[in-house]
Amino acid sequence: MFSIFSVIALTILSSLTAEEFETLHQQLQPDAGEVWRSIPWKTSLLDAQAAAVREKKLIFIWAMDGHPLGCT
Amino acid sequence: MLDRASTFSDPAVVDLLKSKFIPVAIDQAYQRRQKDAEGHFYQKIANQGPRPTDQGTTQGRYVATADVLLLGFNNNRDPARLLKLMQEGVKVTPSTTAAPITPGPPDPKYVYGPPKGGLVVRVNSLVLGGYEETTDPSKKIFQEAMGRDNLWIRKDEHVALAKGEVPESLIIRLARFHLVDNTRGEPPMWEASEIMENKIELNSGKLSGNIHLKTPSGDREFKVALMGFVEVRGGVVTRFDLVAKGLFRGDGPYTGGAPKGDFPLAIAFRLADNLDPADGIPPQGSRGWLDGYLK
Repeated sequence: MFSIFSVIALTILSSLTAEEFETLHQQLQPDAGEVWRSIPWKTSLLDAQAAAVREKKLIFIWAMDGHPLGCT
Repeated sequence: MLDRASTFSDPAVVDLLKSKFIPVAIDQAYQRRQKDAEGHFYQKIANQGPRPTDQGTTQGRYVATADVLLLGFNNNRDPARLLKLMQEGVKVTPSTTAAPITPGPPDPKYVYGPPKGGLVVRVNSLVLGGYEETTDPSKKIFQEAMGRDNLWIRKDEHVALAKGEVPESLIIRLARFHLVDNTRGEPPMWEASEIMENKIELNSGKLSGNIHLKTPSGDREFKVALMGFVEVRGGVVTRFDLVAKGLFRGDGPYTGGAPKGDFPLAIAFRLADNLDPADGIPPQGSRGWLDGYLK
């Protein structure tokens, strides 16, 4: 006997409907209002160094394994 | 993503970063190895801290001056501790004699951009369900986190797409490096031999297909259906919208905590517009072997 989960699984595996595509594509766009996005992150250290000289500021380096603005 | 949603969402941290610092985000796996001006700059800073570049990862948060003086370091995502690190830093008056560093030739092994004449496609991923309910704020952030990467498409593949064809090389790259669960960190990629099925067709601008990925042991598996749309104007692809959705199983050394058993995972693709700083980041799957990624 199929469980409810099995039926859902089969639906997922076969294909996507146009409605599912629209819903998911919209759902998977990041929220532009996320606070961390308001920080003017640079991705080049030398660009940051030049800006620090120009604006007489310190440099804050967020260094990770994998890119911090990506998958980590 | 935990840092983005917690540490760098703290109003005091954000305000101080914006007002007193030039913030820069890097994947230090590149800069600690680069043999060029950017690499040397980073290595001089990191080597003043507790994680020298010759001893593995230098991951952390650094406060430094433009003339390469490390003022502070920590590798803790507690906003209060980060704030303290930054507040200690701003007590130091930035050098007035520092000069911009001349870039010079970049180390081609680690510094590369997207293929000329190709395309950059944003890739976002989301686990749609399957997690156990939690009241732990950190776990909740992971459970709701959206993964982010970029897909690079070669010039010849771009030309083929514009003609209504989906090159095999693009299907394989998409499957191996972008049908992954990167919502909790750096994911394991798929080996070519782990592609059980890979079919994507493009008919009258509509993409559809199915891909099945599975490790030999079966500890990771992803069976996915794909649907999308490609639009072309004057020989240039102006729309590449794609959704992949299916059942994923398993995790990796840096993506622990996945839902148990099979769980629904969706991945969306959209052409980058260069308005997001992350649009310029090389694909995770290209780290250290661009040729292998693009082949």
